[in-house]
This record gives sequence, structure tokens and C-alpha cells, in this order.
Amino acid sequence: MSTDPLKKRKTKVIRGDGGTPETKRIRGDADQAKFPPALPLVGQRKLYSGRKQDVRVYNEEVELEGRDTEQDYILYKSTCEAVAKLMAEIQDLKASGAKEGSMEVEERRRRGSVHFIALKKLNRMAHMRLKKARDQTHEAKQRVDVLHLQLQNLLYEVLHLQKEIGKCLEFRSQHEEIELVSVDEFFQEAPAEISRPHLTKEDPHQLTLARLDWELEQRKRLAEQYKSSLCTKEKILKGIEMKKEYLNSLQPGLQAIMQASLPVQEYLSMPFERVQKQAEVARHLPPPLYVLLVQASAYGQACDTNLSVSISGDVDEAKALSRPPEDSQDDESDSDAEEEQQNTKRRRATVGVQLDDKRKEMLKRHPLSLCIELNCKDGSILHLFFYYLMNLNILTVKVKVSASADLSGAISAGELLNPESLLNCLYASDHGQETPNPANRYQFDKVGIVSFADYVAELGHPYVWVQSLGGLHFSSDSPQVEGPHSSLSASHMESTMKLLRGRLQARLALHKQFSSLEHSIVPVSNECQHLFPAKVVSRLAHWTMMSYEEFVELSFVQHVMKAGLVRNTDLFFMATVERGTARLQAAVVLNPRYPEITPLFSLSLLWKGERSGRTDDNLRAMESEVNVFRSELQGPRPGLQLLTNQMQRLCVCLDVYLETESQVCDGSEGPREFPREKMCLRTARGPNRLKPFKYNHPQGFFSHR
Amino acid sequence: MGPVELLHMSVFSQTFSPCGRFLAAGNNYGEIAVFSLSAALSPDATGMSQKPILTFAAHEGPVFSLISTDTHLLSAGNGEISAWSWAELTKRSTKALWTRRPNYKTSLEIPEINAMIVNSKDNSLIVGGGDNNIHIMDMETGTFKSVLQGHKDYIHCLSFREREGELLSGGEDGAVRIWDARTGQTVHCIEVFKYELCGGGPALSLWHLRSMSPTSVFSLAGCQREAVFYQDLILTVGEGPYVSHCVPGGTVKAQIPSSSPSLNTLTLNLNSNEHRVMTTAGSSDQIDVFTNFSYRAFSLSF
Repeated sequence: MSTDPLKKRKTKVIRGDGGTPETKRIRGDADQAKFPPALPLVGQRKLYSGRKQDVRVYNEEVELEGRDTEQDYILYKSTCEAVAKLMAEIQDLKASGAKEGSMEVEERRRRGSVHFIALKKLNRMAHMRLKKARDQTHEAKQRVDVLHLQLQNLLYEVLHLQKEIGKCLEFRSQHEEIELVSVDEFFQEAPAEISRPHLTKEDPHQLTLARLDWELEQRKRLAEQYKSSLCTKEKILKGIEMKKEYLNSLQPGLQAIMQASLPVQEYLSMPFERVQKQAEVARHLPPPLYVLLVQASAYGQACDTNLSVSISGDVDEAKALSRPPEDSQDDESDSDAEEEQQNTKRRRATVGVQLDDKRKEMLKRHPLSLCIELNCKDGSILHLFFYYLMNLNILTVKVKVSASADLSGAISAGELLNPESLLNCLYASDHGQETPNPANRYQFDKVGIVSFADYVAELGHPYVWVQSLGGLHFSSDSPQVEGPHSSLSASHMESTMKLLRGRLQARLALHKQFSSLEHSIVPVSNECQHLFPAKVVSRLAHWTMMSYEEFVELSFVQHVMKAGLVRNTDLFFMATVERGTARLQAAVVLNPRYPEITPLFSLSLLWKGERSGRTDDNLRAMESEVNVFRSELQGPRPGLQLLTNQMQRLCVCLDVYLETESQVCDGSEGPREFPREKMCLRTARGPNRLKPFKYNHPQGFFSHR
Repeated sequence: MGPVELLHMSVFSQTFSPCGRFLAAGNNYGEIAVFSLSAALSPDATGMSQKPILTFAAHEGPVFSLISTDTHLLSAGNGEISAWSWAELTKRSTKALWTRRPNYKTSLEIPEINAMIVNSKDNSLIVGGGDNNIHIMDMETGTFKSVLQGHKDYIHCLSFREREGELLSGGEDGAVRIWDARTGQTVHCIEVFKYELCGGGPALSLWHLRSMSPTSVFSLAGCQREAVFYQDLILTVGEGPYVSHCVPGGTVKAQIPSSSPSLNTLTLNLNSNEHRVMTTAGSSDQIDVFTNFSYRAFSLSF
């Protein structure tokens, strides 16, 4: 270190001087060194060598510490001056013509060189001082850096420790998440060895530990309880299962008993089995028919023993219906149709056939149907067959009459028992030609059915009362019906059955009456004889049936048409009453709801000119006599004599009319054609001078109303 | 009233209320219906205003005659006369004020009352009907003062000549008796002005009263049941569905069709200026209202 660079410097110094033998020797021998005595040997060091010589080492740096910088600076200045002076002298000498190599010049040159050496040493000294100063600064700096680093390290560590402390402080142990009972409870409940109050009251750590212990113990205890409860529950469930199986096993036994009791039932005529079988089949009935069955059976049992209900039809098909429909068939037919269409480019027959199939599908009937039979007192039976149209959700009815008496008498009575129109207008304006379900309109549009009336002959009539019996209610407000209501059926059942019976009886009675009327006899029963005088001269000549079109064309019925009392569902008849030259034509409108609605008579008299109820007030009075006084003419209940009594009264009135006609008016002479036979008090009364048409019993005279 | 009863209804009598706003009509079932004429004639009349505001059963038999005094409506049924207060009727109260019966001899058949008129001079009611007699009743006391006998058949109509104080009656026997006495031909109804009008069969004819001879005979088919003088026209109704307008000279000026096949009664509402209409009714349940006498405006119905 400090010796090595010194040694190197040493050699340089020696070489620069031209080298003295001493210096060469110093170079050759590192251990020994001597310096010119010109410079004080300051800072010698003694090197330890094997020769055991005291060697002095010239250490210039040590020398440096001893020199004073001021002095060196002065020395430098003086040397520079000296050199400058010498140079000046040399120059002077050279200028004064001294020769090259003269002694003065050489001497000055020598002295100048010596000064240069001193300058060099001073320069060296300066450099060395600088270097030393720098080294010292450097060292100091390094020391400061080291300290600085240490400071940084410590600070960093402090920070780190602080963070750690923070973390430690934030640490939450899991034990705090466990819900523990409150402290008071804990002290109350926990046994002393766990709670250890003497320790825990002071030390919160201990307290928490104790509490945790207690918690653990409690939980263990409760878990035990839970397990035991589960076990008991399993046992009980098993017990229940066993009992259920036992009950199920009873079922076959009961069936066997039922079978065995069949003969007993037959013997005692309590047909439970039959009823049950019917109930079994009834399960497959569609809901409206089921409602009808239930209500009709109930009504039959409760009120009307002459009513019997039975189910007919194919049960298997019904069962098949309740299974999900098979789609493959439909798909096949559709795809077939498509293929054909593609191949032959719209063959119309296919589309038509497809539409036809769709129609048939829409109008399909449920395979099961109900048959209700109403037995009447005279032995005739009204058979009603009820069908359910599945897609249209309506019920239809077909009717058949088995009459006890022979019905082949009357020609005009042909329409009376026609199954198509027998049940027409059971309730007012219930024609049964159109479906009462408004939703069907949209369904019909899809398959191109214009009017349901075309299918009525085949499918039966969808009367509104039939829907009501099945509990189906269609109103214009709510086109959707939720499901059949049995209360609706029940409320209609009695009245409908009564109406049906009444209708049948009325028609049968009319049938009998018509056959008599056609033979020109007006049948008047004994109870009604009091309404008429003993002798009636006018007689019924003809009784024929008319069609609606024929009726409309008659001139003397226009007032009835205008009053809106005629419909094309009514039955029309023409009666001709004759006496002498007088002929009275009566057009009769018979409403299907006879005898609830009175038949309407319109009169036209052909006698010395034609008169009708419009032109002759007396004929009008006769019309009102026959049409208006229903309460008198209907006879004993149920009023089936109405029509025949009306006919008889008409004949009586004609008698009165003809006999009281005064001859003075038409100015004819000679005996009267119709002598006065009826007893009348007055022949004219009131502003329009009406004739007396009212018969008084038993006095037997005629008076005015 | 069902549709069949309505079909066979005949209206026999009508009269207007003293204020002229209401019309009362009587039919063959013994009912009286009160119609509000002002409602039916108002611009915002609906179908409901052509229906009666009140219909009630007044008598057992047909109501052949109705007349109106200043406060009362008098109706004649089967041999009895009932009085109703117009004020009460407009409030829809149908209690009769009184019902009186003339003294009839026969009891087998009750005679109808066909005609009634009021003699305002001595406040008496004169009725004529089926028993061939004319009964005069005092309105205040209600007793039947006197009986005028003479007709041989029932009396159709009555009329009064105020100036001379004479009563004329026409009957089925063909006589028109002027009580103070004379006879004529078969009549139905008369109204007297200076002339006398006799309807009925054979024909409607106009008679001059002083000379007691017919001045003109009208050629109308059918028996005329009611005829009135109006301004310079004679309006008459009877058999046949029309109202005939005739001129005293003897010509039939016009025949206005109506809705009933034959008409029994015709009245003019002279009590009110704003509702000056003519109404006719007959053998149907419609009462035709003529606001302009040349055509039928609308019909009220029972």
C-alpha cells in the first residue's frame, strides 16, 4: 500500500536525475535504498530484513505531513523567481556573445536544472497533498454512507416490526365466531369446574376459554339428543308403513264378501251391485252426461218413480278416449296429404276429403250415451237419448215415442209426433237448430260448416234445456264454460221433466182429437158440456193441415202476422164450419207449446159476400170470443181440451151470428134462412152494435160481454 | 195484457183533460188509459211516451163513454158511472171519487151506458144507454132527478143545444128525439150546431133543424159512428179505416187513412192551443193522433 507506490515513485525520481550509482543500487536491491542527502530523510521506515540491517526507507508521504503548505508555496515562488532570474542571466550572456557551452551558461543551466527538480518535487508534493485530501474525504464519505445504510436498515426494520405488531393486534381467532351464551347465563348454568369463577372473573382470557368449554359440552349433549330422536322417528315411520300394508291387504277380502252378497241383493231387490256397475261405467262418462245421470237418477228416486236412466254405448271406446290420443295416425294422414299435394299439384278431392274428415272429427260423439225413459200414466213412453259432442262441448237429444194407443188415425196429425219437431220450443224460442255454444262458431268456420242445422237430423237437437240439464251454461257474456254445474242441472230437472211429460201428453191428446176432428166431430168431454148450449147446428166440415207458406198467403191472417204471433215453427190448420149457405173459414195457428199457448183463430165468412174479422166487427168479436177466454175454455187440468172447446165455441158463435143477422140491412125479402133459435136478450149493444156471443149456463141464453 | 188481448182490443171512448195535456181512453176490457199528450208531442218523444202513463181497470164491462168536466173525468161502464179526479189521475192515483148507478128496472142484463153529456146550466149529467131511457143526474147531490122515456131501442148518443135548451138523443130504433120531441132516422152520433148531423146507416146526413129536413146526404160507405163539426168541415169516422173530411155541401173532400180497421171515436182537443190535435180510435189498440188533420202523425198504443 503506501510503500508500493512510494517505491515506484522512488525509481522514477532516480531515473530522471540521470541516475547515480547509488540510486541504481537502490533499484537493484529493493531492501536497501539511499537517497541523496539534499532532501531530508523524513519519514524513514525501518524494514525488517534477514540481514538485520537497519534499513531506512524513504517515505515521502510521511515527509509530506511534516511540511507546511505555506512554506512550500513560498519556496515555489522563490524557485520560480530564481529560474526566471537564471534564464534572464543566460539570455543576457547569450546576448552578449557567449559561446555555446561556456562555463557560466552551463553553471546557470545546472542551477536551473536543480531548481527544476525542486519544482518537480513541489509539484509532486502538491499532487500528493491533493490525493491525500481526497482520500481522506473519500474515507469520511464512506463512513458516513455506512452509517446511513445502517440507519435505513434500522428504520426499515422498525417499520416491519410495526406492521407485524399491527397484524398481531388485528388477529381474530375463530373462537369469536361461535355464539356463546351470555356471561350471566353462563355463570348461572355452567357447573363450577368449567366456569371456575375465581379465575375467570378476573381474567377475560380464562373467561372466554371457560365459556368455550361450556359451549362445547352443551353441543355435544344436544347432538346426542338429536341422534336419539331420529332413531325414534324411524321406528314410528316403520310402524305406520306396516299398518298401511295391513289395511291394503283387507281390500281383496272385502271384494270377496261383495261377490258373495250378490244373490242376497237380488233376493231382497236392492240392486246395489247394478247401481255400482252403472257407477263404474259412469266414471267414463263425459262430465255433462255424468251430471245429467246423477241429477236424473236423484230426481227419479226422489220425486218421480216413472223415470228411469240407463247408459248405453261402448265403454271400451270411452276408456280409449281417456288415454292420450295417438299422434302417429294424424301425422300419417297429414303427411300423406302433403305428399299427394306435392305430387299432383292440388288435387281438389284430397282437400275436400280432408275437410270432410275434419268435420267428422269436430262433430264426433262420445261413445257413451244416456237414455232417459219417461213413462206416462196411459202407458206411453217417451224415450230420450242424450249424446255429448266432445269437440263442441254440447249435448244433443234424440227422441222416440212408444205410444200405447194406435196412432194411425189422423192424417193431419202427422206432424204432431214427428221426432224431429216433437221437442221443439219446449221453452219459448228454443228451436234446437243452432248450437247454443258461441265458441262453436269459430270452430265451424275453421272446417267450413255453415250451419249446424244440417247435422241436426243425424246428431240430435242441441236444445238449451238439454245443456241446462247437463249443467252446461252458455251465456253471451262468458263464452267459456268452466265445467258443468250440477246446481244448474238440478234447478232445471223438475221443470223440464214436467214439460216433457206435458208435451207428450198434449201431443197424444191432440192426436186423438185430430182423428175425431177429421171425421167432422168436435169431441167435447163431459166436464166441458156446460160451456155450450145443447143444440149446435153449425158443423165442422173440414179439418186439414197447412204449411207455413200456405198460411202466410191467406189474406185474413195478416193482422196476426203483423202482431208477431206467428213463427215458422208453429203448426197451421184450416177448419171449415158450415151451416146452410154460410161457410166460415178459420185458420188456426198452433204453437208447439200448446196448451200453454192458446191456438189463434182467424176468421173469414163467406155468406152473401166475403167478410173477415177486419171488415166485420162481429166476426172480430167472434175471434176474441174464441182466442181470448182461455181460462174458460181450457177445461179441466192439464187443459188438453182447449182446442176442441175453441172449435165448439166457434160453431156456437156462428150459429148466433147467422141467426141474429137482421134482414133489413141487405134488403132481401122472404123468410129468413136461419130462424132464430138461440135465446138472446138483446141482439145489439154498444156503439158498434155487437151480437151476443156469450153463453150463460144454466139459463141458456146469450148475452154480451 | 198479452199480445192476443191487445190484438182483440177495441177503444170505444176518448176525452181530453181540461188543461188539454192529457188524453183518457176507454177500451172494451173496462180499462182506462191516461196518455200524456204533451210528452208524446214534444220534440224528444220516444217510444215510451206513446204508451200510457197510467192504465187501470175502471169497470167490469167496456167503457163506452168518457167525458171531462173542469176537474173530473166521468166514465161509464156496465150501468154505472164513476168519477175520477184529473189531478189525482195525473199523480197516478186510481181511486174513484164516486160511483153511481141509475135506477134500472131489469136485472137480468145490466144495460150499458153509451153516451153522457153535461148540462152546465143546471149542473146535471145526462146519460143514455141500453135501457132505452135517458137519466138525468144532479152533479152536486148525486141523485137521479128524472128519466126521459120514449126510445124504443137503446140510445146511442146524446147532444145538447145550449141556446134552445134542447136535448137530442139518437137511438138504435132509428129515431132522433128532441126532448121537447120529434123523430128522425137511424143514427149513431150527432153534434149540433145550427144544423144537425145524423150518422149511421143508411148514410151520414146533414139536417137543418128548423125545417127538420135533410139538406145533404153524404155518400160514405159504412155506418158512421161519430161526426163533429170543425171550422167549416165535417169530420167523421165509422166503419172503414179512414177519417172522412166532408163539406156541408155534401161532397166528401178527403179520406185520411188510419191504423184501425174501423173507428169508433173521434175527438178534437179544443181545450189547449198548443196541443190542438185530433185523435181517433177504434177496433185495435192504437189511438191515432193527427197534428195536421190531413195525415196521421203517430199512434199511441195501449
